[in-house]
Formats: sequence, C-alpha cells, structure tokens
Amino acid sequence: MIRFEHVTKKYGDSVILDDLSFEIKEGEFAVLIGPSGCGKTTTLKSINRLIEPDAGHIYVNGKDIAETDPVKLRRSIGYVIQQIGLFPNMTVAQNIGVVPKRLKYEKSEILKITRELMDMVDMSYDEYGHKYPSELSGGQQQRIGVLRALAASPPIVLMDEPFGALDPMTRSSLQEEIIRLHKKLHKTFVFVTHDMDEALKLADKIIFMEGGHIIQMATPEEMLENPASDLIRSFMGKRAADSAPVQLTAADFMRPNPISVYKNRGIRECTEIMARRHIDSLLIKNDDDTYAGVVSVNSIKRSGKTTGPIGEVPLSENAVSYVTEDAMESFDKLLNSDKDYVVVLNEDDTIAGIVTKTSMAKAMADALWGDAQ
Amino acid sequence: MNFWNLYGHKLLVAIGVHFLYVLAAVSIGFVVALTLGILLSRVPSIAKMALPLISVFQTIPGVVFIGLLFLSLGMVPATAIVALAIYAVFPILKNTYVGLLSVDKSLLEAARGCGMSKMQSLFEVELPLALPSIIGGLRMSTVYTVSWAVLASMIGLGGLGEFIYIGIATNNNALIVAGAIPSGIMAILLSLLIDAVKKRITHAPQKEASAA
Ligand SMILES: Nc1ncnc2c1ncn2[C@@H]1O[C@H](COP(=O)(O)OP(=O)(O)OP(=O)(O)O)[C@@H](O)[C@H]1O
Ligand SMILES: [Mg+2]
Repeated sequence: MIRFEHVTKKYGDSVILDDLSFEIKEGEFAVLIGPSGCGKTTTLKSINRLIEPDAGHIYVNGKDIAETDPVKLRRSIGYVIQQIGLFPNMTVAQNIGVVPKRLKYEKSEILKITRELMDMVDMSYDEYGHKYPSELSGGQQQRIGVLRALAASPPIVLMDEPFGALDPMTRSSLQEEIIRLHKKLHKTFVFVTHDMDEALKLADKIIFMEGGHIIQMATPEEMLENPASDLIRSFMGKRAADSAPVQLTAADFMRPNPISVYKNRGIRECTEIMARRHIDSLLIKNDDDTYAGVVSVNSIKRSGKTTGPIGEVPLSENAVSYVTEDAMESFDKLLNSDKDYVVVLNEDDTIAGIVTKTSMAKAMADALWGDAQ
Repeated sequence: MNFWNLYGHKLLVAIGVHFLYVLAAVSIGFVVALTLGILLSRVPSIAKMALPLISVFQTIPGVVFIGLLFLSLGMVPATAIVALAIYAVFPILKNTYVGLLSVDKSLLEAARGCGMSKMQSLFEVELPLALPSIIGGLRMSTVYTVSWAVLASMIGLGGLGEFIYIGIATNNNALIVAGAIPSGIMAILLSLLIDAVKKRITHAPQKEASAA
C-alpha cells in the first residue's frame, strides 16, 4: 500500500531521513515512534507530499507519488496534523466537510457523511455540528480532526500525534475509539506517537525510528520480546524487563516464607494458627526442615481428630516446583491442579514459598503494564 | 435660525460631497490595498522592503500631495479622490498583510493537507481569518479619510472643509463649527457602521482566535 524505497531527506547538511526503506500493508495500523526529532513527522508528510524527499521513491498503491498531482493525492489521503488544525472560521460540520466539498460531493451526501461520522464518536450533529472549534473541548477537537481526515473515506489516513495534548483519560478513550474505527473501516492507518503505551495498544506494526533510520519494525509482541536496541528497551520501560517473562523462575513470583509447622505440632495448635491467620491450610515440614506436605482444615475435619500431632492427619499432595524452575511451568502446574497454590522448594527440599493465582495475576500484570502492584 | 436659512442648503450639499469623496476614496483604496496586501503576503521577502517604502509615502504631508496632483490632474474631483485613496491604502494594506501573515502556520498546513489549492486556502482559510484585521484597517482608513477630505476644499473642490476654511478666513466661528461637527459625526457614524459589519461577518468564537 505504502512503500518507501531509499528515501532520503536533507535540510542543508543535516540528514533527516537517511535511506529509508519500508512497506506498510493495506489495512495495517502502522505506528511510527521514536525520540523527538527522529523524523516521524517528516516521514509522514512525505507520504502526502507536504514534504518532497531529496532522493528515493515513495509508492502508494504501486504508483510513484512524485508523478501524481499533489492536490489530488492529498484528497485521497486523510491527514491529521500534529496541532489538530481545525479551521476556526468554519463550523464543526464545515470542517468535516472540507475534503468532500473539494471532491464535489452533493450537499446532502456531505451532510449524511458528517452525521454518520459524528455519531461514530458520540458527538451528535444536532448538538455540535454548528459549533465552532473554539467552543469544543480539546478531546472533542481531536475527534473532529480525525473525522475530517476520514470524511472522504480515503484508503489511507495519516495521523501525527493526534492525541498528544490530552489528559490520560480522554487519551485512552480516544485510543479505544480509533481502534474501533480502524476495525470498522478497514483503512491503512499511519500513526505517529512518542508514547510506547499508545503504540503497543494501537499498532499492528511498530516502526521505531532514531536519527532518520528505522531501528526496528515489528509487531508489538515481537518488540516487547526482542527490543532491537537499548533505546527501544528504555522506551518500553518496565514492560520489557531485561529478561522476558519466559525466562523468569518460580522464585520470581512466589510468596516467600509461607506459614509452616513441624509435623509434631498439636492439631489444636495448628487450627488456632489457621484461624488467626485466616488461612485454610498449613505447610508441614519434617524435623530436618524438608517439606512434608500440606494439611487443610477439611482434611483435619475428615480425619475426625482433635488432639495429637498434626503429622498424623493425612497430608495432601500439592504440586511442587523448585525455585529455579521456569515460572511458566509452575503456573501450568497450578492451573492443572485443584489446589490453591503450588509449593516452591529450595534445592535442598526445604520450603521456599508458594505460587498462588494472585502471584500469577501479578506476573501477567507486570509483563503487560510494567510495575503494576 | 438665521444661520440655517443662510447656509442650510450649502451645508447639506457639502456633507453629501464630503461623504462621496470618502466613499469613493476608501472603496478604491480598499480594493488596491487588499490586492497589494494579498500579493505582498505571498512574497514576504519583497514585502519586508516594500512596506517601509510605502509608509514613507504616507508621511508626505497631504497638502503637498494634493497640490502636486492638482498641478497634474487639474481641479477635478478625481484629484481629491485619488489623493485620498492613496492615503486610504496604507492602513488597510498593512492590516491585510499582517492579518494574512499571522494566520497560524499549522492551519496553512492543514489546508494543504486537506487538498486545498493555493487559491482555496487563500479564500477559504486565510482571508476569513485575516478579516477582523482587514476590517480594522478599513475602519482606520475611513476615519482618517473623513478628516483628510477636509483638504479637498483647499483646491476648491467643496466638501465640509469649505466651511472650515471660509470660517477661518472670515473669522466666523459658526462656520468652523458647522464644518467640523458634521465631519466628526460622519467619522463616528462610519466607524460604528464598520464595527457593526465586522461583528456580523466575523463569528463570535473568532474573538478568541484573534486575541490569541
Ligand atoms: N523545515 C525544516 N528545516 C530544517 N530542519 C527541519 C525542518 N523541519 C524539520 N527539521 C528537522 O528535522 C528533524 C526531524 O523533524 P521531524 O519533525 O520529522 O521530527 P519528529 O520525529 O516528528 O519529532 P517530534 O516528535 O518532536 O514531532 C528535526 O531535527 C527537525 O529539527
Ligand atoms: Mg513530529
């Protein structure tokens, strides 16, 4: 759909785009990301010829855009500029209708499109259509900016940090909306951001740029798993820890120092401990501190005993992991067992901790959102 | 009462003539200034040299100018109108130029990005946004022209200036006042009218845009 071949752009002596080659496929949601000044906007503007490269070729739908009329080209490519750029002298409806009007759509057709689009972002035409941009909130203006780019139903939509200046709540709801629009409209989106969270949330493909080069082009998963440089890693912050989740061990996720008692403790004493700590089972250890098993309130009840050492109650067999074991494996054991936790043992069979469903949830949260609690 | 009987008719004619001078001069000045302003705004590098030059023109005393035009054109109303129109140009020209240049660059880019041609961008985005500034210039020109038109009578072309000059020459204060007050009122009424027009054609929210 969009193909860059050895595209170079210079301003004076400084090379802004350095021999860029890449391809964005039809229907893809591509996100350009990278530090400020790395050439994201320049790349984007090259696609609708707001900027002409010094060397190389850009193809849209197989046609070299250098040979197309720039005005016509721009009418077939939606564009959301970095500063929103709604025309203050036009109403919301007129702003949305700018490109269709250029393309000589019927008035009634433009009205219909405008209504439909505004409905899609929950801003009714009747309420907002005749307002001026300065009468809208920042988030509403951003929405209209996106709608304006979509109005003539262009197959490609370029968006330059469209949600840049928004508070996190509005931003995240607009992100949801843009994902919905992309799913619904099946267009090729090229989206610029410098926010990795946004990129991971939206992208089918992330294009990471630095100093006019593409450092990595990958799906969000690939980039999380194998960031190609330290810069990308730092952009992803906690999300891509130095080792990916697969390399983490049971020890990383277990709850250390679970409550455990020696076999010869009295049954009554044990039930008291459980009551006091609000737990329904205890880890039992042998005299040499090695793990012996688990005793639960239920098994004590079923044994009918109220006195004597706890070791006389039948122990249940919880799944066991060793501290060095892959965390994924102990999660699997936990999922496949009917127990609430997996017991984690040190190399010498002493008790190290337990892996519960909560630790598993925390691990997933960490992997997905960084340092979540 | 006596005054009105003596001069009433003459005064009405003078007011009419004065007004026509202003109307003709400002209209011509407006068209010229708008055209020049738009052209200059397309080539700011030339404008940076041209505008100071034009403003020097502006400082030549009106009397000198009208005198020169009188010598070349003779005692016809066109002399007064041309002279006044030249003076009317500058405030409008300057405000048009400044207004066009102060349109946010990102909006120009948005216009291009939306597939507007240069003309469409000019007429649908730039001029509407520069309009408050342009009308401000128009108002200034109009008010000035009302008072400059007084000079027309110097070369015997009538208007309210005639009353003032005769009044001064014959030491008749009533005549001076009869010339001065209507021209003052004319200036005020015209500027009120222009303000009203400006309010009508520029949308309320634009106040913010021009304040920013
Ligand atoms: N007209 C210009 N003349 C000279 N240098 C320019 C011009 N436009 C952009 N640059 C330079 O090109 C580089 C890339 O600019 P670009 O706008 O593409 O960056 P960006 O990645 O979009 O950054 P940001 O995240 O800040 O928007 C920057 O170093 C910028 O200073
Ligand atoms: Mg940018």
